[in-house]
Amino acid sequence: MILKVYRYHRGMVSPHYDTFELELRPGMTVLEALFQFQEKLDDSLAFHYSCRGAVCGTCAMLINKVPRLACRTQVESLLKGGLKVPIVPYPAIAETVPWNPEEEVLVEPLPHLPVIRDLIVDMDAFFQYYRFIEPVFTPSADNPEKERTMDPAAVKKLEVYTNCILCAACSGACPVEGKNPRYLGPAALAKLYRFHIDPREGRTSRLKTADIPTGWWACEFYGNCSLVCPKGVPPRIAIAKAVAQLKREEKEKLKKQ
Amino acid sequence: MIHHHDILIIGGGLTGLRAALRISDAGLNGAVVSKVHPLRSHSVAAQGGMNASLGNVKGEDGATDSWESHAYDTIKGSDYLADQDVVERMCREAPTAVIELEHMGTVWSRLENGKIAQRPFGGAGFPRTCYAADRTGHNALHTLYEQVVSREIPVYEEFFAISLITEGGRCIGCTALEIMTGQVHGFLAKAVLMATGGFGRIFDKSTNALINTGDGQALALRAGALLKDMEFVQFHPTTLYGTNILISEGARGEGGILLNKNGERFMERYAPHSVDLAPRDVVARAIEQEIAGGRGYEGGYVHLDLRHLGAERITERLPGIRQIAMDFAGVDPIENPVPVQPGQHYSMGGIDADINGATKVPGLYAAGECSCLSVHGANRLGGNSLVETVVFGRLVAEKIVEDVENAPTPDDKLVKAAINSVNDRIEGILRREGGEHFFTVRDAMTHTMTSKFGIFREKQTMQEGLDEIKSKQDQVSRVSLQNKEREVNQALIRFLELEGMLLLAEAVARGALAREESRGSHTRTDYPERDDRNFLKHTLVGFRNETMYVSYQPATLGIFEPKERVY
Ligand SMILES: Cc1cc2nc3c(=O)[nH]c(=O)nc-3n(C[C@H](O)[C@H](O)[C@H](O)COP(=O)(O)OP(=O)(O)OC[C@H]3O[C@@H](n4cnc5c(N)ncnc54)[C@H](O)[C@@H]3O)c2cc1C
Ligand code: SF4
Ligand code: FES
Repeated sequence: MILKVYRYHRGMVSPHYDTFELELRPGMTVLEALFQFQEKLDDSLAFHYSCRGAVCGTCAMLINKVPRLACRTQVESLLKGGLKVPIVPYPAIAETVPWNPEEEVLVEPLPHLPVIRDLIVDMDAFFQYYRFIEPVFTPSADNPEKERTMDPAAVKKLEVYTNCILCAACSGACPVEGKNPRYLGPAALAKLYRFHIDPREGRTSRLKTADIPTGWWACEFYGNCSLVCPKGVPPRIAIAKAVAQLKREEKEKLKKQ
Repeated sequence: MIHHHDILIIGGGLTGLRAALRISDAGLNGAVVSKVHPLRSHSVAAQGGMNASLGNVKGEDGATDSWESHAYDTIKGSDYLADQDVVERMCREAPTAVIELEHMGTVWSRLENGKIAQRPFGGAGFPRTCYAADRTGHNALHTLYEQVVSREIPVYEEFFAISLITEGGRCIGCTALEIMTGQVHGFLAKAVLMATGGFGRIFDKSTNALINTGDGQALALRAGALLKDMEFVQFHPTTLYGTNILISEGARGEGGILLNKNGERFMERYAPHSVDLAPRDVVARAIEQEIAGGRGYEGGYVHLDLRHLGAERITERLPGIRQIAMDFAGVDPIENPVPVQPGQHYSMGGIDADINGATKVPGLYAAGECSCLSVHGANRLGGNSLVETVVFGRLVAEKIVEDVENAPTPDDKLVKAAINSVNDRIEGILRREGGEHFFTVRDAMTHTMTSKFGIFREKQTMQEGLDEIKSKQDQVSRVSLQNKEREVNQALIRFLELEGMLLLAEAVARGALAREESRGSHTRTDYPERDDRNFLKHTLVGFRNETMYVSYQPATLGIFEPKERVY
C-alpha cells in the first residue's frame, strides 16, 4: 500500500512526488496516513489538520484526483476501487504523474489555489470571494426581546446551506474556476443563497450582489461542486434557482415598462 | 514586526470571537490571534447544544424552567465544587446569550410554534439544551465569524502564540510565530484575553481536535498565573471505538440506549432513575466497569443502540451522528448498533480566574475552556460549555473594556527583547541533532495519561505516572526535529505544543495525587468517597523557579448546600 504525495516548497523549480509504504490499520483515513508519513519518513510534510472528524473543513485536498476531506476518506475504500466520484473531467485533474490506482493513493493539493507548501494551499482568494458576498445576517426589523420565530420547515431548507464548512472542495472541483480565477465560485454563491432564503433576512435584493458576469452567470452547471461536497450542500441547485429568479424578475420588470 | 492593539485575544473559537465583538461594540481596537483559521477552531465540532433556561419546552408535570433550576443542576452536576456565584451569573445570562446568537443569524432548530427547540440532556431537570440539529457549535461559530468579518476586526490567522510578555508583573502582550513565514511577531496591548480552549490531547483517547493542546494554560502558567482544578478531566462515555470521535449525548437524549455484550441495558443497575441519561461521569464509569468486568466487546467497547428510534427520527434529529458512524466506523445506526467507549472529552480545570475572568497576573484574563472560573467544578454538564463560551466571552470582554481605561500604554522595548529571545529559542531547537524523535515522547506521554490518570485513579499508579512525565520533560529538551526550516514548520509547532503539554500533564498529575477523595470526574479507587471536610476546595498549581507547587482555595457556596449526588 503506497502513499504518493505531492511535495513542493518555495524555491523549487517544479514539484515532485514522494512515495511511502503505509502500515495500514483498519479504518485508516488519508489524514492518518499523512501523519504516519510525517512521523515515520519526513516530519517536514505540510498539510492542514484540526478536527479529524469532517467538521472543521481544513483538510480538503485532491485524493485520487477527486477533491475531498483527507480525514473522512478511508484508505482501504480507495484501494478497493471504491469512492469513485463521477465528476466531469477538467484540466486540473489531468494525469500529472504515473500512478497505479490499485496499489497507490495519490494525494495532491486542492486545485485552483496557489500552493504554499506541499498540500497547503493559499485560501486567501477563496475567503476574499466569501467576503465579497457580504456573508452577514441583516435582520428585517429591530430585534425583538426574545428570539424571532421560524417555521421548522424553513429551517430545514436553510440547513442544507448552513451546513457548508467552507472546505473549498467544490472550488477545487469546479471547471469554471479553473479557467476563470475571478469567478466567485460555488461556495461563496451557495453562502449568498443561504442568506437570500433566510426568512428573517431583511435585504430583499441579496441575489443582486452576485448579479455580475463573475457571479451567478459564470456557472456552466457541470455540477462537480455538489458531487464532491462532503456535507451534501448543493451549490449547483442554489445557483440554478438564483439564475431562474433573476431571469424571472428581469422579465417582470420588462413587462411593467 | 510589532503590532499594537488595545486588547489582544488569543484564540478564535466561540469565546474569542464573542469577546472580539464585545470589544468592537465598545469602540476599542481589539484583535484576534489564532493558530488556525477561526472556523477551524474546536468549537466548530460541538454537536449537542447550549444550555439556557428559555423555558420553551415544559418539564414534567408542566413546570417551566428557570435560571435557578439551571444553577441547581449545574452545581449538583459539579459535585458542589463549582463556585456558586459564577454559576448564578452564567445561568442568569444564558438565555440572553442564546437569543443574541439568534439575533445575529444563527439558525437554531425550532419547535412547531417557531421558538428555539430544546432537548433533554444528562443531569438536567428540564429539556434545556438549545440546539441546531447536531451542529450547534458549527452554526454558532459561523455566525460569530460572519459578524467579525463584517466588522473587519483584525484576525491574525495561523499565528502561534509562543510567549506572554510581562512588564513589572503586568501582562502587556505576546509573541507569536507566523506559521506560514516562520517570522516571530510581537503584539502589544493593554490587556490580553486567553481563549485558547482545552488540553484534551495530553490523553491518547480524546474526542478533541488535534489542535487542543492547552497552549494557553501553559503560557499563562509560565507567565505567573495559576492553574485551577486540573485533575478534573471529563471522560465522555460515548466516543466512537477506533477514532474516539464524539457520539453526542444527544443520541441518548433522543432515546438511544447502552447495551453490553450480553445485550443488557446495564445503566439500569448504575442509575436506576435517569438510566442512560445519567451525567457523563456516572455513565463513563459504568461503561468502564462493564468492560473491566468482561461484559464489553473485544477491544474494549459497548453498544449504543439507536435502531428502535427508526430511520426517520435518526435522519432528522441525528444526521451528523449517523454520518460519523458511517464514515468512521462503517456502521449505519439505522441498521446496527454503534460501538462506543469512554474517552477524554473536556478539561474542567484551567487558568485560575475570578468571576470576571481576571487572573492573578494583572492585564491577563481568561475565558472559555482554557479558563476555570469555575462553573463546572468537578464535572461539567453537557451543553454548559458552549453557553460558558458565549456568556463569559462577552462578560469578560466587558470587564476588560472597563479595566483598560486606566491601563498604561506599554512600550516597544520589552517586545523587541521578547522577540529576540523567542528567535533564539527557536534557533536552539532547530539546531539540535540526535536524541529521540519527539513523536515518541508525545506518544509515551499520552499513553501514560490515559492509563494512569484515566477514569479510575490510584496512588501507586499515579506516582509512577508522575515519574514518567518528569522523565519525558527531561527527554524533550534533548529531542530533535528533522525539519530545520522556519517557513511552515509544523514539526516545530507540534514540538512547542508538546513542551507545554508536558507541563499540563504534570499539573494534572500533581492535582490528582494530592486530592485524596473521589469527586465528580475524579475517581480514586483508594479514596472512593467524597470528602467535603478536607476537599471542598479548589486545587491551585503554580510554577516557581521551574518547579510546580500545589495550594488550595475554598469553593464559593452560598445558594445550595452540598448534598450527596444521586441520579
Ligand atoms: C466533540 C466535542 C463536542 C462538544 N459538544 C459540546 C456541546 O454540544 N455542548 C457544549 O456545551 N459543549 C460541547 N463541547 C465543548 C465545547 O465545544 C468547548 O468547550 C468549547 O467549544 C471551547 O470553546 P473555546 O472558544 O473556549 O475554545 P476553542 O473553540 O477550542 O478555541 C480555541 C482557539 O484558541 C486558538 N489557540 C490555541 N492555542 C493557540 C496558540 N498557541 N496560539 C494562537 N492561538 C491558539 C485556536 O486556534 C482556537 O481558535 C464539545 C467538545 C467536543 C470535544
Ligand atoms: S459547499 Fe461543500 S464543498 Fe463547497 S465549501 Fe461548502 S462544504 Fe466544502
Ligand atoms: S481535519 Fe477537520 S475536516 Fe478534516
